[in-house]
Amino acid sequence: MYIKRSLLLSILLSLAFLTHAQSVATISGYLKDAAGNPVPGASVKLQHHNTNAIADEKGYFRIASAPPGKHTLHITAVGFQKITHELNLKAGANQVVNLTLEQSVNDIEAVSVIGRSTVKEVGRQAYNVTAIDAKKLYNSTLDLSHALDRVSGIRVREDGGLGSRMNFSLNGFSGRQVKIFLDGVPMDNFGSSFQLNNIPINLAERVEVYKGVVPIWLGSDALGGAINIVTSNKQHSYLDVSYSYGSFNTHRSTINAGYTAKSGFTVQLNAFQNYSDNNYRVRVNVADLVTGEYYPRQWVRRFHDTYHNETVIANVGVVGKKYADKLLFGITMGKSYSELQTGARMVSVFGDIHNRGTIVMPSVKYQVKNIFVKGLDFSLTGNYNLGSEQQIDTVNRRYNWFRQHVPNNGAERNRTMYKFNNNNGIGTANLSYKLNERHSFALNDVYTTFNRKGKDPLYPNDEKYDHPKTVRKNVIGLGYKYDYNEKWNTSLFVKNYSQHVSFAESFNPTGNWGDVAYRKLNNDINKWGYGIATTYFVMPALQLKSSFEKSYRLPEAEELFGDVIGNLDGAPDLKPETSNNFNFGVSYQARIAAAHRLSVDANFLYRDAKDFIRPRLNANQTKQVNGNEAAVTNAGFDAEVRYSFKQLFTAGVNMTCQNLRNQTKFEDGQKNVSPLYRDRIPNMPYLFGNADASLFFKNVLKKGNSLTLGYNFLYVHEYYLSWPGQAEVKLTIPRQFCQDVNIVYSLANGRYNVALECKNLVDNKLYDNFSLQKPGRAFYGKFRYFISK
Amino acid sequence: MKKFRKILFLAGALAIFGASCDKEDAIETNDFTEFPSMGLHKYVITVTPIGTTGIADILLTSDYLDRGSITTAGNGIEQDGSYRYYLTHKGRFFSLLYGQGNPGAVTTYRMNASGKLVKTTDFQTETVQVFTKVNDELLLMKVPRSGTETCNLYRIDALKSRIAGSDSINIVKLAANGERAHFTWATQVGDKVFAPYMSIKGCCSDAFGTVYPDSTWIAVLSYPGLKLEKVIRDNRTSYLGAYFNNGLAVTDNGDIYGYSPAAATNSSKYISKNPSAMVRILKGTTEFDKSYFFNVQEKSGGYHIAAQTYLTGSKFLLAMYGEPNAFPATRKMALVDVETQSFAWIKGMPDEILSITAPYNNNTISEDGNTGFIGLNTSTGSWVYAIDIATATATKGLTVEGGKITAITKVDY
Repeated sequence: MYIKRSLLLSILLSLAFLTHAQSVATISGYLKDAAGNPVPGASVKLQHHNTNAIADEKGYFRIASAPPGKHTLHITAVGFQKITHELNLKAGANQVVNLTLEQSVNDIEAVSVIGRSTVKEVGRQAYNVTAIDAKKLYNSTLDLSHALDRVSGIRVREDGGLGSRMNFSLNGFSGRQVKIFLDGVPMDNFGSSFQLNNIPINLAERVEVYKGVVPIWLGSDALGGAINIVTSNKQHSYLDVSYSYGSFNTHRSTINAGYTAKSGFTVQLNAFQNYSDNNYRVRVNVADLVTGEYYPRQWVRRFHDTYHNETVIANVGVVGKKYADKLLFGITMGKSYSELQTGARMVSVFGDIHNRGTIVMPSVKYQVKNIFVKGLDFSLTGNYNLGSEQQIDTVNRRYNWFRQHVPNNGAERNRTMYKFNNNNGIGTANLSYKLNERHSFALNDVYTTFNRKGKDPLYPNDEKYDHPKTVRKNVIGLGYKYDYNEKWNTSLFVKNYSQHVSFAESFNPTGNWGDVAYRKLNNDINKWGYGIATTYFVMPALQLKSSFEKSYRLPEAEELFGDVIGNLDGAPDLKPETSNNFNFGVSYQARIAAAHRLSVDANFLYRDAKDFIRPRLNANQTKQVNGNEAAVTNAGFDAEVRYSFKQLFTAGVNMTCQNLRNQTKFEDGQKNVSPLYRDRIPNMPYLFGNADASLFFKNVLKKGNSLTLGYNFLYVHEYYLSWPGQAEVKLTIPRQFCQDVNIVYSLANGRYNVALECKNLVDNKLYDNFSLQKPGRAFYGKFRYFISK
Repeated sequence: MKKFRKILFLAGALAIFGASCDKEDAIETNDFTEFPSMGLHKYVITVTPIGTTGIADILLTSDYLDRGSITTAGNGIEQDGSYRYYLTHKGRFFSLLYGQGNPGAVTTYRMNASGKLVKTTDFQTETVQVFTKVNDELLLMKVPRSGTETCNLYRIDALKSRIAGSDSINIVKLAANGERAHFTWATQVGDKVFAPYMSIKGCCSDAFGTVYPDSTWIAVLSYPGLKLEKVIRDNRTSYLGAYFNNGLAVTDNGDIYGYSPAAATNSSKYISKNPSAMVRILKGTTEFDKSYFFNVQEKSGGYHIAAQTYLTGSKFLLAMYGEPNAFPATRKMALVDVETQSFAWIKGMPDEILSITAPYNNNTISEDGNTGFIGLNTSTGSWVYAIDIATATATKGLTVEGGKITAITKVDY
């Protein structure tokens, strides 16, 4: 076999020798591990040159044109120690290099069986980043948001069941402070029909979580970190179909398919659907609509919380062309329907209010490498959402939790059929240049636009709908990265944030109750931010990371103008928030004997934020509204320890602790020190953790079939609804436990997969934002079929 | 296999651990045991902590108002929401949530035998703009400023904390001038309820505007029948009271006094030509006493009345807008005698009063009738002031640390 190969290579090389000028040399060879097995996918690099090769699946590699002279070859492969090899090339000759690679300590195998492994390349960055390998979760019934719930430092905040409003708390920052990207494009404008809570995990390849400082190429204005969903970049043909069914009449299906022709023509199609009645039980006081008395502590089922959405994403284009490594034209089309069961608190019960949303979003993605000069890469993306949102509240009823109703002055909350279009678009441009091995530069620009327009057929003449609600935002960043060597690299960056907001402010011209008039206002913001991130490998298995950023976040359209369809009120006078973020992280990977592996990650952070944007309840307790907190600091710590034994067992535990404190000494117009000075920020979980364990059995019943048993435990410490330092008798959100178990059986090497899951195994009570209750015990089953070529 | 068993055991143990003891989430209502009246009272002081919005008024209690200090730090009962209004009746302290368009939760508190304020029940009504004491009941009125023409009236059994009955009034028909009647407040007068109202457009981005800025109306309702019996009219002042503000008071001798702020607007401009004044309805009549007119605006040097609290005899405590011929947010306090029509600014008050405690339910006058109390909020702190009625002089009493005082009431037990 080897001889045959060599022979073939020799012939090829002879041909090359004949046709090529004699001024270049070639290198070829074979890479194997200690056991003699080939090492596919290894990277072979010629030092100080932009010449490299990747070993094929049999371990062979070839560098076709290298200048003659003394050289050093760098060979790296995932799971193996890096090796260097000196060689002297003669013009016109082929040098054969056969090498044996030693397995490295931080073996990818150690983490390859773990659902949330640090995808290695991502982890090597100086940023505090965790990557979830989404492929490992394709058989689970999780959606993206719940996969993220298990990462240290992250809490998913959500209002209820499937499709409910949700956001993330990441190291003490939450809501829009945590930016969400899809393939590097901010998901600011996707509307309710396409959000993390309804995107199936199978759409993603991996999810990167940046805690704190966000790399320049992600751009935009994240304050507390970013989540980047990386969708499949596979350039082959595949089909991935799944369907799951479970409690509360929940149906979810996805189809992901891709085809790439030899010519480079490519088509990608993702379609998914979610449906749920969300009729889970809640424990509430039920009001008698005649006497007003409460029947205390009743178990009732939610009765008006059906959610469904259907979305199709299609992309057509070419890959691997000279003029474009990737050029894709796409469209995302979808619609959603959701019923509104409650206001921001469980005491407001609705039985007819519902929302409809659509997304029609054409998009373009263009990527070209080595444009004009080698090392200069350019990418451009753009999308525009033509979709609409509408809330319908026209039924003259007051409901209680028993679904009884009495007449109620024309509507349940606010008589409305307001339908609007946010007319929002995003364009991103990224230019990166790698001068040489050590110096690289990046320039990134993100431009977003928003112009809400709508009408309410019930009030065709109401002037409040004619007022401008526009936002234009641009964030441009310039970054420089210095790679001193394999052990140390540093990034520096500077960013400019600018925003133009135009709106009509309502004000009270007379000071009398309920008097409203409007005045048009423009608000222009221009700020500069900067940062540095550096990482050092003390040993190959011990990495230190440190970063600092002066970051800004500009209030988003939804925070300024409200979401209209949900329980979020607008706050048009919201100021941008800024924070000095300090991060320090350590990660260590150890191998105890051959079979035991241990990894430890720990991160410390400090945030010094001004004009901190924090959600509060509005004055009437029925909606949330954002406000600026003049000064807030957070000192936090999160850590994760993970152990695995061969490919049989893995277990991990993580814990997050954060200490958000109000540092506003004097409130507006007050000369005394605020009673809330140095108090803990309320309604924010500050101590929480996860533990998980999985067992893997190979060749169960039949060769190629495998069985996985998984367990996950969640803990959230009790926290206060309002300021902890005030009052003696207080409202709290109780301590929470939640346990999930699952079984996955894969047949025919993963072609067919069957999963069964039980969420919230012992039916613990779970809560979120302002004590909204979440589903109890639920069962889900999922079937998945996957083929690829 | 041994290991596997161990793991199973561990998992089982964890599951049991997780299942144990979820706390009951509905807030406890204490089991309240009835006890014979002890003839005692305490003051409930409601405070909105500085810097908070949307949540957590705090109820503090105190045995006295004229001295000492209390704080919200680690002290008091947190309320679920700060748009709350408070009413004391029959030894019950009611905390009403203003939930605009949403149900308005009401929490009832009582003093237990050891003088501790404890929560006894929760019940639900609609969000209302008017709430007043009538007999053994509370009358609540939900007055729509736009949309529906139906004003809902609810009678709450104060002892049982439940809705005893409800009715409604068509406010467009009541106004009978093309606008809508918007009740400012309601006051029990004998066996009737007098409810002054303002006339408002209720539409057109000028809901509280009117083209009738110089007329006065009081609807007379039967009780408990809640039937409209009469509308008492006048045209010497503008409407009586103000939105969410009690315009009428019945004095010890049974006469009824009302004040008008003269603050009607149209398209956000003040257009009342009549002065800010007090008018009178004599005991047993349902007509204004045309011979009586107390022109407070003139007497005060141009100031408009913002709110009234009846003290004793013919003495009223008035909160005046902080500047003459204008309607700023600040206040100045004055004492008037409605019979002699004397007006005196109260001496010893802070220079700048940012807000005052709710005037509609201030029952804190001293036993001997010589001293009235009011909570004042300034940029340097909040205090209860004791007002010596005879000399119109105020002295600093209880210091309240932690926030703005929104109401002070006396609860008997």
